[in-house]
Amino acid sequence: MSLLPGMVPGLGLVKGMALTLRRFFAPKATIRYPEMPADVATKFRGRLQLLYDENGLLKCETCFQCAQACPIECIDMGGLDTKGRFHVHWGPPETYGERREESALRRSGRAVPDPAYEHFAEFDLGTVDQILELHDHDPKRLLQILEGVQGAFGFLPVAALKRISERTGTWYAMVYGTASYYGHFRFEPPGSKAQAAEVSRRRPSDDTYLASLGASLGGRRS
Amino acid sequence: MTALARTWDRLTLPGRALAILFPLLVLLLIGLIVVIGLFGDTILDILIFNLPIVRFVFAATVLLLLAPPIAFVIIYMEMKVIALMNLRVGPDRVGPWGTLLSTVHGLKVLMKEDFTPTRADPVVFTWAPVVVFATMPLSALVIPFAPGLFGQNFNLGLLYFFAIGGLTVVGLLMGGWASFNKYSLLGGLRSAAQIVSYEIPLTLSVVGLVLLAGTMSLNDIVKQQGVSGWFTDWFAVRQPLGFLIFAIAATAEANRTPFDLTEADSEIVAGFATEYSGMRFGFFFFAEYIGVFVISALTTVLFLGGWNAPFPFPHISWVVDPGSLGIGLLFVVALVPLLGTLLFAAPFYLFRSKTRWWVALIIGFALFNVVAGGLLGLWAYINFDWVAGLFWFLGKTFTLVFVFVWMRGTLPRVRIDQLMGFAWKWLLPASLLNLFITALGVLAVDAWKGA
Repeated sequence: MSLLPGMVPGLGLVKGMALTLRRFFAPKATIRYPEMPADVATKFRGRLQLLYDENGLLKCETCFQCAQACPIECIDMGGLDTKGRFHVHWGPPETYGERREESALRRSGRAVPDPAYEHFAEFDLGTVDQILELHDHDPKRLLQILEGVQGAFGFLPVAALKRISERTGTWYAMVYGTASYYGHFRFEPPGSKAQAAEVSRRRPSDDTYLASLGASLGGRRS
Repeated sequence: MTALARTWDRLTLPGRALAILFPLLVLLLIGLIVVIGLFGDTILDILIFNLPIVRFVFAATVLLLLAPPIAFVIIYMEMKVIALMNLRVGPDRVGPWGTLLSTVHGLKVLMKEDFTPTRADPVVFTWAPVVVFATMPLSALVIPFAPGLFGQNFNLGLLYFFAIGGLTVVGLLMGGWASFNKYSLLGGLRSAAQIVSYEIPLTLSVVGLVLLAGTMSLNDIVKQQGVSGWFTDWFAVRQPLGFLIFAIAATAEANRTPFDLTEADSEIVAGFATEYSGMRFGFFFFAEYIGVFVISALTTVLFLGGWNAPFPFPHISWVVDPGSLGIGLLFVVALVPLLGTLLFAAPFYLFRSKTRWWVALIIGFALFNVVAGGLLGLWAYINFDWVAGLFWFLGKTFTLVFVFVWMRGTLPRVRIDQLMGFAWKWLLPASLLNLFITALGVLAVDAWKGA
């Protein structure tokens, strides 16, 4: 007959003490934030905020991507503005009011001023046009176009994305979606050349990319 | 308005206090020097004549002064150890590795408002924390820290310890009663009931040990545990049941988890300390942590051999008489830190091209300090009995403190009825059993030897 665990008095105490002692030496879960940045995904945005482009206009194109992607459905769009676009509602209805003024300004068609985004440099869209011309304005070569733009500017300015959308006849949502799908594109100016090179180096080779895509779709690996 | 008055008006409150205190201090100092100059011999004669009293007062003062640092160390240890057990990092902002956080806590408590409830008994209310706090250093008076390093060598040291240690209950009851708050009163009564109940098995478990030792002087008890130099002489080996009972009862006596019902804030707000704030609460708080140290020290002294090493070390004699160096000593003191720093800094500067020279110097200085401190400590350990004794005593005591903290990080709190039932139904009979078995054993051994 074996000794039942409950039959030895104090065994539970010893087990508990052993557990805490093991925890004592185990690696810790704390992230010392200001010194060590948290390990988050590269595409993590982390804030519910309407961003402005370099012209001081709202970046939002009501493309519904955010509302569709939101796992808890806290982003909602409803109603039409004067341009026939939907409103974006962040959070519960009682917070919509905060956005009302901004929304009214947006509907008026004037640029929405934002002091933090006032000092953007002008962009020479001629370069973008040249790149588009090179690729025959072909939306199927969007990746090459975007890479060309990033090569010219170091990043993808919103104005350039809009120009691409305009000229190729693609939805802005598709252009933006394609750009943000790949890890080697960046939307803010790089801090340094090294940083820009580091981001660009993330581009997977075509073979690797196709193989992983095929595998994720359940196809055979060739 | 004179310039003096204007200056006075501009001073902040601490500035005013200092402005009054500083001249007062200078005056007192001058007075002291004058008095010593005039009546120095007479005073010295009186002091020498009353040497035991002087020793008592001096030792009590030293222990009172030592109490806050010890409490700070234990509070920091508790915060850090429990955090590590919770898979957190714990305090790491104030000071190196957060070591100064407990000091900052102390200062914070000092700066908070000292609040007295309207219909409280102000005198009793004020003195309760003092009583609770003072018992701990006073009971530590008889604990031998190292050979020759103790406050008093009573032949009734153990009795004195329990008598003074029992005064804590008075302080808790005073605090609970004077607060004019039913939660405080209930909490005070509860802690009094707990501590009085556990005092009995605590004392009875030691009686067996006293039978074996034949003395109640803590010094002699420690000496008896170091006869052969091996840890088999320790009373923990000869009185295992007594040690177990003592450990459990001591946990309850020090108000530690799983017996920390005096401050079970989920049940009785904060117990007797509900109405206390500021430094008065700080005194209760400190008293608890010093209590942990004192009770660990007593366990070490009684059961774990006190200052004795667990096994006999080969005797090394490595005598360096600093006086024999003569004028060379001056050069050693002046040059060795410099040369040592350069020596330790050199490899970092030479072999790691990234290191700047001043960083290398800082690393070298730190390394030199560590090595020199270690060597000095080793030298002191070999040459002075009391350094070696203090090393082992503090090592064992802080190991026990760690166990207390470890238990707090692990065990949940017991219910009040479980607590009292355990004391009266299990610990008391067990301690009586231990006492009878020990007494029988002593009688049998005596009869064997006599026959």
